[in-house]
Amino acid sequence: MIAALRVEQIGCEFDELVREHQSMVFSLACHFLHDREAAEEVGQEVFMSLHRNLATIQSPAHAAFWLKKVTVQRSIDEARRRKRRPQVSLEQVAEPASSPAPGDPMLGETLRRLIATLPEAPRAVIILRYQEDLDPSEIAEILSMPVGTVKSHLQRSLTLLREKLIRRGVGEA
Amino acid sequence: MRGFMLVAVCATALYAQQFKFNLDHLAAKASESVDLSLNGSTLQFAAKFFDGKDPDEAKVKKLISSIEGIYIKSFEFKQDGAWSPADLDSVRNQLRAPEWSRIVGVKGGEGSENAEVYLRSEKGKVTGVAILYSQPRELTVVNIIGPIDLEQLAALSGHFGVPKVKLPK
Amino acid sequence: MDWLEQELKSALVRKEPSPGFSARVSNAARRPRIVAWPRWMAAAAAAILIAGGAAGYRQYQGMVAKEKVMLAMRIASGKLNRIQEHVMQVSR
Repeated sequence: MIAALRVEQIGCEFDELVREHQSMVFSLACHFLHDREAAEEVGQEVFMSLHRNLATIQSPAHAAFWLKKVTVQRSIDEARRRKRRPQVSLEQVAEPASSPAPGDPMLGETLRRLIATLPEAPRAVIILRYQEDLDPSEIAEILSMPVGTVKSHLQRSLTLLREKLIRRGVGEA
Repeated sequence: MRGFMLVAVCATALYAQQFKFNLDHLAAKASESVDLSLNGSTLQFAAKFFDGKDPDEAKVKKLISSIEGIYIKSFEFKQDGAWSPADLDSVRNQLRAPEWSRIVGVKGGEGSENAEVYLRSEKGKVTGVAILYSQPRELTVVNIIGPIDLEQLAALSGHFGVPKVKLPK
Repeated sequence: MDWLEQELKSALVRKEPSPGFSARVSNAARRPRIVAWPRWMAAAAAAILIAGGAAGYRQYQGMVAKEKVMLAMRIASGKLNRIQEHVMQVSR
């Protein structure tokens, strides 16, 4: 007998998937766009897309992977539509106005603002790495890019962020 | 003369797909329905607006270049029992004609999904595909006219914003 | 992990959406849906029609036709993919 539908196999209904993953989806979009309202709109679109494609989801792991991938794709689309951040090279990323110290909650906001001005690919890499704790091969799978490129984006972004902050007297060399 | 031409045009439109769907009565019961009728000239026209430099769009453009029509009716329902086996039988009976042959049949148990794929052949060449797909709350019938490559069509799944069906390591 | 990576982990900790987000999503999913064109198409269509006249209208028709083809491809390939998976599963 043919196996039952995969959604039934993984024992999850749509509502459960929303509750389980809403924080992840919203946060990915919010950190990417640096805009809560835009992130909720993107989040809603992502879950609507999930609802339409529920029959293709094979497992809980696949659902999580699918949601990460589509959320990043939609966030990139939204960022391009809004053109809130012009595409700049890493070296031209604007410096924060103030100089918070490590451990200062303002440093978090400064970092989030800096990240939101990165070009799309390194931005997505940084967010997936540090929000979701994914390794480069997992990030490469989600972003459909070579692992080497992911590592390169990661290294360059960290170097730049570090330089920017150290120049302002934040952190260690 | 004008009357005859009008009838001829109507007759052509009625038989644009390779079999009658006879499923319009389900639209009223459906929570969501899709009704697509894309004839050859619509497909050729649409092909001009696909970006040949985009890998996904280039694949679709290539696929539809040999197709003469795509007809789809798809219904989703909020409850079980909105459609009956007789609805599909009226389609299936037409696919018993000699030019059609069933190449795949997937039969789940009660409450599961069922699917069939038929190929239409003339003089040894594929001239059409029919896909019948059903779940307790969904019914989809697809007719593609022309020498479609099923492998290429199935391979499109994974594009247009839907990730590839590939589990993470 | 160095200090910067620790700070990045803190800065990028997951946040919650506004209260009621999941309920709004679930309700939206339950609403009957007519297949509608993307929002951008309405705006693009208006702009094209205003600016382009007959040529603009042809462009708009082309965009509509293209969206219909893409929808058709999504549906047909999705179903074939499901069928392929079942066949592969049975043949194992």
